[in-house]
Amino acid sequence: MPEYTALAVLSVLLTVAVEVFWLRTGLFGRLQYWLSMAIVFAFQVLVDGWLTKLSAPVVIYDESQTVGVRFPWDIPVEDYLFGFSMVTLTILLWVRWGRRHEEVAG
Amino acid sequence: MDRYQYLLLMAGCLLITLPLELVLRARVYRRPVRLLVALLPVVALFVAWDVLGIERGHWTYSARYTTGILLPLRVPLEELVFFVVIPICGLLTYEAVGTMLGLLRRRAPRREGRDA
Repeated sequence: MPEYTALAVLSVLLTVAVEVFWLRTGLFGRLQYWLSMAIVFAFQVLVDGWLTKLSAPVVIYDESQTVGVRFPWDIPVEDYLFGFSMVTLTILLWVRWGRRHEEVAG
Repeated sequence: MDRYQYLLLMAGCLLITLPLELVLRARVYRRPVRLLVALLPVVALFVAWDVLGIERGHWTYSARYTTGILLPLRVPLEELVFFVVIPICGLLTYEAVGTMLGLLRRRAPRREGRDA
């Protein structure tokens, strides 16, 4: 498996593991989360699409490090896993430890 | 102007999500400590991933569309900004959706709403 692909898949597995075995926020059972991810995904296509477009790329990927599938436009599919992990982990921490901190702080 | 393209895109992301805080009461910027608690580990992890990606040659950055300002370990300034801005946009979305769902539930009362 190409390295970026492997890391992207690993990041999703680790993110899910963090929730299931550690934080246990129940986030994955919430409509609020999945609606948010659908919206984030839609905007990722626009922003990531701009960054990765092959006509004038801002970020240039080594094709040999990905599976080579780019959709839509020129977005490497691995980026969606990267985005899922980054945003999900942020929300997990926000929900779990943020709330606890607020309780402590009053 | 070209070299600010990546940074301007990030500024656009902040601008377009600002109404979520101001109109839809996301209260993300207004809880800065909670925001930092969520953000710091994510920024650290994903900057580390970025460093690995750069080192291993998974990706490079356009000299034309970035400022060329490099942080330690050859991380472009824009990337650090990205790892701060996009998670904030995610949180704003999550909280704004929460506000909307709360409003919907209040209109069709079934369970108690979220904290005000």
